[in-house]
Amino acid sequence: MDIFLQILFDGLVIGAFYSLIALGYTMVYGIIKLLNFAHGDLYMIGAFVGFTLLSLVTGDGGLNTGLLGIGMVFIITMVIVGLLGMGVERLAYRPLLLAPRLSILITALGVSLTLENSSMLGWGASYKVYPISLPKNGFEIVGAQISYAQIGMIVLSALLMIGLRLFIDKTIYGKAMRAIALDQTASSLMGVNVYRIIALTFFIGAFLAAGAGIMSGVYYGTINFMMGFIIGLKAFTAAVLGGIGNITGAMLGGFVLGIVEAYGTFYLGGSWKDVLAFGILILFLVFKPTGILGAKEMERM
Amino acid sequence: MLLIKIVGGINLKKSFMFIIGFMLICSLFLSGCSDEGEKSSGSEISIGVILPISGNNATDGQDMLNAMKMAVDKVNADGGVLGKKLILKVADDACDPQTATTAANKLVSQEVTAVVGGYCSGATLPASGVFENAKIPIIVAAANSSELPAQGYENLFLINGLVPDQAQTGADYFNEKGAKKIAIIHDNSAYAKDMADFAKKAVEANGGEVIAFEAINPEEKDFGSLMTKLKSLNPDGTYFTGYYAAAGLMVKQFKEKSVPGLFMVGDGSYSPDVIKIAGTEYASDLLVTATPTANFIPGAEDFVKDYKSKYDTDPGPFSALSYNSVNLLVDALSRANSTDKDALRKALKETKGFKGIGQEIEFNDTNSLNSSNFHVMKVVDGDFTLEK
Amino acid sequence: MKKFMKNKKQSLSLLIIVMLVLPFVLNIYWLDVLTFVLFYVVLAQGLNIVVGYTGLLDLGYAAFFAVGAYTTAILMTTFHWSFWLTLPVAFLFAVVAGVIVGAPTLRLRSDYLAIVTLGFGEIVRILAINLEITGSASGIYGIPRPTIGSYVLSTQKDFYYLILVVAILSIIIVYRLGNSRIGRAWVYIREDEDAAEAMGINRIRLKLLSYASGAVIGSFAGSVFAVKMTAIAPLSFSFQQSVMILLAVVLGGLGSIRGVVVGAALVIVLPEILRGVDDWRHLIFGVSLIVMMVFRPQGIWPAKHEADDEDDLEEDESKDKKQSVPV
Repeated sequence: MDIFLQILFDGLVIGAFYSLIALGYTMVYGIIKLLNFAHGDLYMIGAFVGFTLLSLVTGDGGLNTGLLGIGMVFIITMVIVGLLGMGVERLAYRPLLLAPRLSILITALGVSLTLENSSMLGWGASYKVYPISLPKNGFEIVGAQISYAQIGMIVLSALLMIGLRLFIDKTIYGKAMRAIALDQTASSLMGVNVYRIIALTFFIGAFLAAGAGIMSGVYYGTINFMMGFIIGLKAFTAAVLGGIGNITGAMLGGFVLGIVEAYGTFYLGGSWKDVLAFGILILFLVFKPTGILGAKEMERM
Repeated sequence: MLLIKIVGGINLKKSFMFIIGFMLICSLFLSGCSDEGEKSSGSEISIGVILPISGNNATDGQDMLNAMKMAVDKVNADGGVLGKKLILKVADDACDPQTATTAANKLVSQEVTAVVGGYCSGATLPASGVFENAKIPIIVAAANSSELPAQGYENLFLINGLVPDQAQTGADYFNEKGAKKIAIIHDNSAYAKDMADFAKKAVEANGGEVIAFEAINPEEKDFGSLMTKLKSLNPDGTYFTGYYAAAGLMVKQFKEKSVPGLFMVGDGSYSPDVIKIAGTEYASDLLVTATPTANFIPGAEDFVKDYKSKYDTDPGPFSALSYNSVNLLVDALSRANSTDKDALRKALKETKGFKGIGQEIEFNDTNSLNSSNFHVMKVVDGDFTLEK
Repeated sequence: MKKFMKNKKQSLSLLIIVMLVLPFVLNIYWLDVLTFVLFYVVLAQGLNIVVGYTGLLDLGYAAFFAVGAYTTAILMTTFHWSFWLTLPVAFLFAVVAGVIVGAPTLRLRSDYLAIVTLGFGEIVRILAINLEITGSASGIYGIPRPTIGSYVLSTQKDFYYLILVVAILSIIIVYRLGNSRIGRAWVYIREDEDAAEAMGINRIRLKLLSYASGAVIGSFAGSVFAVKMTAIAPLSFSFQQSVMILLAVVLGGLGSIRGVVVGAALVIVLPEILRGVDDWRHLIFGVSLIVMMVFRPQGIWPAKHEADDEDDLEEDESKDKKQSVPV
């Protein structure tokens, strides 16, 4: 029982990261049907911007700033990366919105390469150690060890996700996003500024990814320029699992994938974990491309 | 007739493409010519260096190159060898097999007398084949997969202790400490997998039991569920054979999950970064099997001092070995009394009791070391100390 | 010069003569670079069928390269087969692999498909790392040299000519396929899948054929790669490799045979010329992907317009009548 619970919790922690990143994929996909390969790299950029700002704030690794300072760094980083996400959309994707699907996919790949290698040139290829780390104490429930940091990570990501859900359900911008997802032309005719809403979508996606990036830096302690690639793939898997285009689905998919991987590692061994994840992805795409919560109809290109 | 269609119609308007094509071909010729000029002239002996200068392993590659440059400068300051100056020709293998063969061929085309270097076993394996074909002796300073000597190349010399010896050192240490139930983890790189396999054999030969044999993906950060698994198996010792970035995270998560037993890593993780990543508190008592760095070698104080003053940083894990590789080559050149490759290979083969920093070099039948120099280091107060 | 350019026969013969003579002019390093250019020509032509002709984005193409390399390597080392005998087996495995990737993805949107191929590529790489028969992480080494009669292919020049022959063959095959009825059906599917189906094109069969043809060409490159390198490792078949092959196709011009040749040359030769700015090279490639797609989606040297070579088309059509392929 204790092992079972412990693995469940291990899975929840990694699942929280998957969920946060999966949200960005699913939002962009829901609105302009673009698979934004570069999304995982925005997570990486978030981790690096946070690293730089935190290093400035905390000086030489000492934790002499209060929670307020760190909170500010979080917000500033997320806004900076959010703007970067908008910039990427403006420069690389908008000119191609009407072009064949293949062109925009290849562009997304190009953006991903560009972000990774700019980061490598700017921050270097070696692993960076985050200037702050979390307190290490925790507690035990029925034999499972859970640290406060883990609880914090899950709570923080849950808050961000609930915030997003509320934003989309309750605000006029959220309404516009949902409208564009349904019918771009009609929304435009109804007076929705489509380009502006698409830009906003990219902002929010990048904003959340940056949050996940900086959380990952604080929680795990190291970052490097390739960190976005594999987690981006996994988050995409999570988005598909939950039903791409579906916000709740992305959150659910992230947690489900995290938990499946944790049990997979335990029972099958670490070597096969990635095969399991990609295998699930392929099976879902083939047999239930709409995912767990996806809409019923599906289109073909 | 078919061939005519291959390239298709040449459109005049697009003939600028041909210009690009011609430029490419011309650049081939030009480079071909410029390389001619680089060939070693009478007063110099050129030595090829094959190391990862770019990419993820560039840090160690740069350290090794620094040490080699130091050795060359010293030899040249003392008047060179055979009355000639040494010059280094550096080729980047980026730890990638395909890039490595191109780099090796580049060195061959520059007609180097011998080659030093070799960091990643995965890249050194195909590169050594190129040098074997060209009959150019190569002294491998760091790469130490057991598969390198298994190729049976007569021009390939290895001066780092081999993976089986290192695995044995680790297994023996566990045995000494009464640790019988051992978990082994690798990161799916050629070197780490090789070492994990040998560690398994060594542990079992010592009468121990391998209770888990696992792999991780070094690009990931969360080893939580793996640590949960380890904990449930209750190991006496855990041996991670991969590289430092994953090792640091693993040490941290190992301690956070309070997995019981000793934690040991291989020389791919012999780096202060492991301690930095894991944090001083969690890294304490971490064990490392490695060839000690120059810092721990008696008689290497001068080397450490020179290195620090020249490059403003401590020597890396393979700096001493790289330094030795150049000096061994110089020694062999002067014994061969010629830059002839056959004579040089013979001289290398006949090396007897060459004293480098921290090691005495003598080759066995497979051109690797007769005796290994692996020790167990332990982290105490955030610093490596010699344990055994 | 202009007169000369007009004559394609002459310029092509000249190109081939230059290619044949080059090994005697170049030093061993540039010969090696040129050999890799030819490898990329073959790989990029194979991918060109899938991405260029049929318009299906494949991000795991290196997997087929791996299938060929590992099939040849395993058969030659473990079972001591001759190199030439491994080729039909590699062919068979490549077809099977092509169908395995292709079959489940036929009903998917093209961007889903990209991710499935990416996942497939990763699975193949992880399998190669985990399985004992593929030599796990360190791969397979000591692959014997191929022989022709009693002559052992072992020098740089030998392998240059071997891959040159494979490159020329693959170009001919891709050219012929592209101008055949099958090729036109592929392009039709790329341009409008539903309309193509309405016109009686068997979408599923043709897409599978596209994958299988691409896979076979990639796998041949892999087989030659194995004997040229004598050692292969999973590292050579990474996502990075797939991206570089795709880059060659996109830079050169999707669906353009001559463009893809130029693209392959650029992708391999540029980094060698740009030594010293090594760290910049992938950034340059990334930016060029974006710039190409935004400003020149047809590539550096785009496919010729149908109008440019009506004579070719007519000739092909008359042939097609004789050997009409049921599609």
